[in-house]
Amino acid sequence: MHPIEVSQIAKSFGDTQAVVDVSFDVKGGEIFGLLGPNGAGKTTAIRIVLDIFQPDRGKVSILGGPMSEDKKDRIGYMPEERGLYQDIPLERCLLYLASLKGTPDQKARKTLNDYLERFDLAEHKSKKVKELSKGMQQKAQIINTLLHQPELIIIDEPFTALDPLNLQLVKDVMQELRAQGVTIIMSTHQMQQVEELCDRILLINDGINVLYGNLDEIRQRFSGHAVMVRTGSNLPELPGVKDISSHNGDFKLTLMEDTTPQDVLKTLTARDIILEKFEIAVPTLSEIFIRVIEEGDAK
Amino acid sequence: MNKIWRVALYEYRRNVFKKSFLFTLLSIPLMVAFSVGLGFVLTSLENNDLPVGYIDQAHVMDKAIPAPVSGQSEPVIFISFQSENEARASLEAQEIQAYYVLPSDYLETRRIELVYAKKPGENAVRQWYDFLQINLLSDQPEEIASRTASGTDVTVRSLDGKRTMADSGPTFGNFMPVFISLAFLALILMSSGFLMGAVAEEKENRTMEIVVTSISPLQLIGGKLLGVIAIGLTLLVTWGLIVLAGVLAARQMGIGWFQDLGMDWSVVLATAAIAVPSYVLVSALMITIGTMVTSTQEGQSFSSIFIIFHMIPLYVGVAFLKNPANSLAVTLSLLPFTSLMTIAMRNLFYSVPAWQVAVSVCVQTLGALGAIWLASRAFRLGMLRYGQRLRWRRLFQSRQLGE
Repeated sequence: MHPIEVSQIAKSFGDTQAVVDVSFDVKGGEIFGLLGPNGAGKTTAIRIVLDIFQPDRGKVSILGGPMSEDKKDRIGYMPEERGLYQDIPLERCLLYLASLKGTPDQKARKTLNDYLERFDLAEHKSKKVKELSKGMQQKAQIINTLLHQPELIIIDEPFTALDPLNLQLVKDVMQELRAQGVTIIMSTHQMQQVEELCDRILLINDGINVLYGNLDEIRQRFSGHAVMVRTGSNLPELPGVKDISSHNGDFKLTLMEDTTPQDVLKTLTARDIILEKFEIAVPTLSEIFIRVIEEGDAK
Repeated sequence: MNKIWRVALYEYRRNVFKKSFLFTLLSIPLMVAFSVGLGFVLTSLENNDLPVGYIDQAHVMDKAIPAPVSGQSEPVIFISFQSENEARASLEAQEIQAYYVLPSDYLETRRIELVYAKKPGENAVRQWYDFLQINLLSDQPEEIASRTASGTDVTVRSLDGKRTMADSGPTFGNFMPVFISLAFLALILMSSGFLMGAVAEEKENRTMEIVVTSISPLQLIGGKLLGVIAIGLTLLVTWGLIVLAGVLAARQMGIGWFQDLGMDWSVVLATAAIAVPSYVLVSALMITIGTMVTSTQEGQSFSSIFIIFHMIPLYVGVAFLKNPANSLAVTLSLLPFTSLMTIAMRNLFYSVPAWQVAVSVCVQTLGALGAIWLASRAFRLGMLRYGQRLRWRRLFQSRQLGE
């Protein structure tokens, strides 16, 4: 049984159908990307998984069954709507929220000190939360999500307001947690981070699944029958190549059906063309996202 | 530690360890002490213990029989002068505060002259008339003269015989149920205000979603309620101790109003029976408001409406004093928000019928249950509406409940 199993959930608010039919599983110890355009139903789906909303239909299993009060302590959640108690010192705020997750005070203090050091917030722990910058508050939110050492983390737009250094720090932490067997669901619009971090993804649009599965397999599915080539000179017409187009300084060679990339490589080397780059053309996740959402091409 | 207690402790510490709480804690006792103190100061300013002179040209005070002095007043000395010149000199020397002249035809005309530089004290004027009266009756047997001068000791008794008080007015003991009701009222309004602020704060800070994925809504609200009750008890116990110290000091000083502390415990019980569901009712409504509004400040302006409702009995209290059984008094005794103070005020002069207390408790309890139902709906509908106000109309639209 997977840590999260979601089967055909639906949810309406008045006349608006936020989630029409969404199903997915999240495997233990993976980073799972929940993607979709604004208003696709991602946040509603997350809230259903966390039992904040009751679904109109469908089933959710989390950590082996329906949500219960004791399971809440095993889950870390950073919602889309960020919030910390603004009028109290950062340390007190985070310790209080950790105590609500059932973390013993001594353990919470030790873990908190480690995280504050790592996230460069130790010298700000006595400041009121409202006195911290937006980036610092974002890091504090991430610490709050991790402080009670959950086995399942659901995190909505974790990279907002972070500079490149802190963004890398958060990515490192997430990868370390995955290595420790922690399961992470990440909802974000930053496709580059998804490509770097996620093992599998679910893309939803208008409340339904449109793409679901292993990230590499999905990219292969959308790669088409083409290679990317960079040379020092222009390319002549080549046998087995249907079309040659320029692509950010590279050439994209679309192959005929019975031609393999190896055939093209042989032809190029036989003609003494100096190759700076030769690779199977795989689209970026951003390109796949746009193709799926705008063109309805879900393969 | 149970999560409810963690929330309660957080709520308690967050409110109590603030400078503004000290002001809340001391404001009510200071206000009461100021009012009582001001009353005593004004009364003492109206009194003047300097002797009073008189020139008795009518010879009605030849024996100069002293009049008995009632209450806590010090007896004023009356000095007889042979001539007005002597009296005037004494007045100018500030040896006396005023002097009376009883002309020779006083018994026919009843006319007396009073001469003063500054208006004489009320105690002196009162004692002068007692002194004059007892001397006018000097040819009567002493007990008749004395009885006439002492006046009548009237006990006011309600029609059912359950409520009695001296004609000089209610004692401190008589007023105790009203004071207890006022304390409950202050407690209800203050602590429910804290509760509203505590709920609105979760929404304002956008922490609600994090908190409800850590604990259940019941634990959240239960913890906040416990914290607020603890804050209320802190207020109540502190106020109680201050009042007790004040009363003991007043008794020690011999202030008459505080000597009789006997009170009707059935009235206190009735007050408590109404206060408990009233507390739940107002608290639940404050939670409702807290989850509906977008900020604590907005919630406070809404909650001021409830304060006005609670104050209605104080505004129309004169009508109860004239007739504690009139229809306005009965109506306000049964309605939520007004019942607590109305019944306490009526009980000063009248024994409020048990059926009215029972109906009031039922109305408050039903109101409290309805308010809890409303609060739970508002919480589920409004908790994630950050920056948006939840409309009352939507609370009653059943299809929205799944949100």
